Amino acid sequence: MKLNIDGLLVYFPYDYIYPEQYSYMLELKRTLDAKGHGVLEMPSGTGKTISLLSLIVAYQKAYPLEVTKLVYCSRTVPEIEKVVEELRKLMDYYARQTETKNDFLALALSSRKNLCIHPEVSSLRFGKEVDGKCHSLTASYIRAQHHSNPSQPVCQFYEKFDAVGRQVPIPPGIYNLDDLKDFGRRKGWCPYFLARYAILHANIVVYSYHYLLDPKVADLVSKELAKKSVVVFDEAHNIDNVCIDSMSVNITRRTLDRCQTNVETLQNTISRIKETDAAKLREEYRRLVEGLKEANVARETDIYLSNPVLPDEILQEAVPGSIRTAEHFVGFIKRFLEYLKARLRIHHVVQESAPQFLKDIYEKVCIDRKPLRFCAERLRSLLRTLEIADIADFSPITLISHFATLVSTYSKGFTIIIEPFEDKTPTIANPVLHFSCMDPSIAIKPVFGRFQSVIITSGTLSPLDIYPRILDFRPVTMASFTMTLARTCLCPLIVGRGNDQVAMTSKFETREDFAVIRNYGNLLLEMSAIVPDGIVAFFTSYIYMENIVASWYEQGILENIQRNKLIFIETQDAAETSMALEKYQEACENGRGAILLSVARGKVSEGIDFVHHFGRAVIMFGVPYVYTQSRILKARLEYLRDQFQIRENDFLTFDAMRHAAQCVGRAIRGKTDYGLMIFADKRYARADKRGKLPRWIQEHLTDGSLNLTIDETVQLSKHFLRQMAQPFRQEDQLGLSLLTLEQLQSEDMLQKIAQIAQQA
Amino acid sequence: MDDQGCPRCKTTKYRNPSLKLMVNVCGHTLCESCVEMLFVRGSGNCVQCNTPLRKSNFRVQLFEDPAIDKEVEIRKKVLKIYNKREFDFSTLKEYNDYLEQVEDIVFNLTNNIDVEGTKQIMEQYQRDNKDIIQKNKAKLTREQEELEELLLQEQQDSEQRRLETLQEEQRQLQAKRKSKQALLDELESSKLPAAVLLAQHKDRAAQLETQIEKQKQNVKPANIFSTGIMMGQTVSFASVSRVEEVLYVYQPLFIDTYGPPVPGLDQLGRLGYLNHVRTASPQDQAGGYTSGLACHRAIQDAFSGLFPS
Repeated sequence: MKLNIDGLLVYFPYDYIYPEQYSYMLELKRTLDAKGHGVLEMPSGTGKTISLLSLIVAYQKAYPLEVTKLVYCSRTVPEIEKVVEELRKLMDYYARQTETKNDFLALALSSRKNLCIHPEVSSLRFGKEVDGKCHSLTASYIRAQHHSNPSQPVCQFYEKFDAVGRQVPIPPGIYNLDDLKDFGRRKGWCPYFLARYAILHANIVVYSYHYLLDPKVADLVSKELAKKSVVVFDEAHNIDNVCIDSMSVNITRRTLDRCQTNVETLQNTISRIKETDAAKLREEYRRLVEGLKEANVARETDIYLSNPVLPDEILQEAVPGSIRTAEHFVGFIKRFLEYLKARLRIHHVVQESAPQFLKDIYEKVCIDRKPLRFCAERLRSLLRTLEIADIADFSPITLISHFATLVSTYSKGFTIIIEPFEDKTPTIANPVLHFSCMDPSIAIKPVFGRFQSVIITSGTLSPLDIYPRILDFRPVTMASFTMTLARTCLCPLIVGRGNDQVAMTSKFETREDFAVIRNYGNLLLEMSAIVPDGIVAFFTSYIYMENIVASWYEQGILENIQRNKLIFIETQDAAETSMALEKYQEACENGRGAILLSVARGKVSEGIDFVHHFGRAVIMFGVPYVYTQSRILKARLEYLRDQFQIRENDFLTFDAMRHAAQCVGRAIRGKTDYGLMIFADKRYARADKRGKLPRWIQEHLTDGSLNLTIDETVQLSKHFLRQMAQPFRQEDQLGLSLLTLEQLQSEDMLQKIAQIAQQA
Repeated sequence: MDDQGCPRCKTTKYRNPSLKLMVNVCGHTLCESCVEMLFVRGSGNCVQCNTPLRKSNFRVQLFEDPAIDKEVEIRKKVLKIYNKREFDFSTLKEYNDYLEQVEDIVFNLTNNIDVEGTKQIMEQYQRDNKDIIQKNKAKLTREQEELEELLLQEQQDSEQRRLETLQEEQRQLQAKRKSKQALLDELESSKLPAAVLLAQHKDRAAQLETQIEKQKQNVKPANIFSTGIMMGQTVSFASVSRVEEVLYVYQPLFIDTYGPPVPGLDQLGRLGYLNHVRTASPQDQAGGYTSGLACHRAIQDAFSGLFPS
């Protein structure tokens, strides 16, 4: 289908289009025209990805000078693959329609672990091992040694790529990870370095968030992307947490102990090299004295440990004299390490700011701020000079050096919390130093500053206005789209009471209450009797789930439920959970029916879709507030209040509601799908909670579906399910929620479409 | 940590959690009771390296590695002498060289390399740079100053926040109490039925609630500098466009006094007015004051009092 979006010719690879997709593209076009940032919310299952791709590709083709590159960031590898598949469909359609050969280059990029084709290296299990092994085969000094001593092993794939790969551009086309590997095998080139090199001139790049947000990685991979790129963050409802995680450092006693061995290794290596090859150290020293920039001499394979922060004006300066020679630097690290050890030896919780920490460190071990700042840079240089091949072993000391650099660079937006033990086990000493970032805008600021358009999109971004506030940027468009439906295929219900009129809530005071637990059990029991196939139930935490399930067992509720459906439980163990999921799907498939008990914020709630019969009902037991006693969270809330004028309660409710929406959103993955969404807590009925749900759920929440009892819920659900079970054909949708080109162009439809988007 | 112990009496932290380890200048550990025992006379030799030590120099060991304790001790001593700051040097390179030299000295002293020679260098330096050392003693480095400033600001901010929230809470409490009292009064005196009054009260309470909510949201945004310039605003250096308007022309003030013309400042002396005022002392004149000024003001004052008859 060829569309005319505000004067732009867009090729859309399907025969039908949803009205909201059209509206979404309109908004997106406006954002690109304005060269600004946008926040767009559209329910999952309405074809966000393809709308994004078709519009931006069309824009790129129409104005090749305005937008040169699309950078599409997604969260997981399967999601990346899905995007590439959609893109392939779109490009095929282009080729068929225009009958020209495709000249677009689009590729996916992932870690070495997913891209390596070296027979030995790729068989390793963990990403870190693969990285370390790869480095030990491709580092520039290893390759130099190989020249003089051919028995030194190197990676032949990288050698080949290095010899010819850069001159010959990769032919245009769509490459997912497997295609890249195939291509690499055919040519004998390393796919990972090929992909990293090719993203510089690719039209579309699909990769994970971290390549842009994590400053350690972004510096390597995404440094040279052009300003005229459009960056899309898909499934971005958790983007603030990703930003924060990428800047935070946690140091445990174990890290320090391993760091100690690192330091000893360093010391030994230095003394050995001093005897055998003192010239090398002198050469490094000379370079540092002259303040030569490390980056100028480094090669792409070596920059494994990069600087975690980017203030360039600092890095231009020469390394301070006190850490110039290798011995002095090792002594410096030792002092720093001992200081950290001493700090971890405490019996009560300490919270302090970065300046306080710096002052204390100066008083205790005479470490100035400036050498600390250069710590990461200096360590990198030293490791290179010492030609340490297996760099994976040095991750603890790298972590410490990153911490040193971060703590001395940022005086605001960070806090240091030292806890002698975990909250749950106050008797077991397990000291941790959290260096926690509280301001997500620090990590994402370079992205907003550097690229002309950044689009943040997801199925659940409500309330829209909070994202610009916590990420500190000014969007040109903020819009939320609803799902146009031919039939109301989602049925949100808020259950507030049991049949005995006892309020149902996971509030702290009443969560141990026998009546509440029994009522929750009764709700699940009743639902298991009337809902066909799969039910997914979410609890607020693992502990809460354990408690409830145990007492259901005692009360015999579990036994009764099992007459209707099988029960599967998500645990913290990933392998166990995936097993449970597999069996759950099997039980849904063969008609036995199943219930999956899982946890909001868990793996299931974030990444797994329950299409059609896998999830006919989602029950959310309680409001999934984050654990509010955590000190890191408290510090962050305080910071949000002071810096962004966001009140604690607002943020907590926002956070709880986005997770609740994420959970219940698992059930509806398309317009032909249908599902019940049951919020089992009376607090959901309050306006402040309800108002924070995405608009496409709120729309269907009528006054009649608030604060129900269990039998009322059963009544409504039965009615809903009976309606939904009627056959549903495409013709029913056509003209209402599914449009052909002619229908799209009719006058009143265009008017209707204009109402879909709600500007925030 | 638990396996740390005194090398002499072999007590470990595990067996005696209250064990206190001490370190002296040589960097060897002893526990507190051993120190008490061996150094009863106030001085003695180190058990391990035979260095003569004083009891008063024993410090509690802060770090796991006693060598670090020793190094820090030495470093502090060295830094007391080598206390030049960055601005004492003309180029950054010289400063860096200097820093390295300091580091060398500390390294030598801690690792017992050429101790005598190093000490001589230090003494030599101390003699040569007596003035600078004295001068810099009280000064902080620039970075430390920055840190102090940041700390101070943090303290002030948190204090202010605490006060603000306290005030806010009190204000709300008062408002609520007031409305409650008003309800009681009304119930007592009004002739309306109680249900109506209660409903009214409920309305008012809701209003109050929303008002408080609004106030909370109205917290002033912290994106304005004290000068009123927005934070993050880019200041443009382009010249301000000229306003094409008629230029302002100064017009001297004219006061109608209805009397004879007031003598000007320069006429005062000639007309003899100055004879009636106190002459200015040299101290007064230093500030630019002349006796004419006071006299002139007094005369103007007097003439302004004249009204048309």
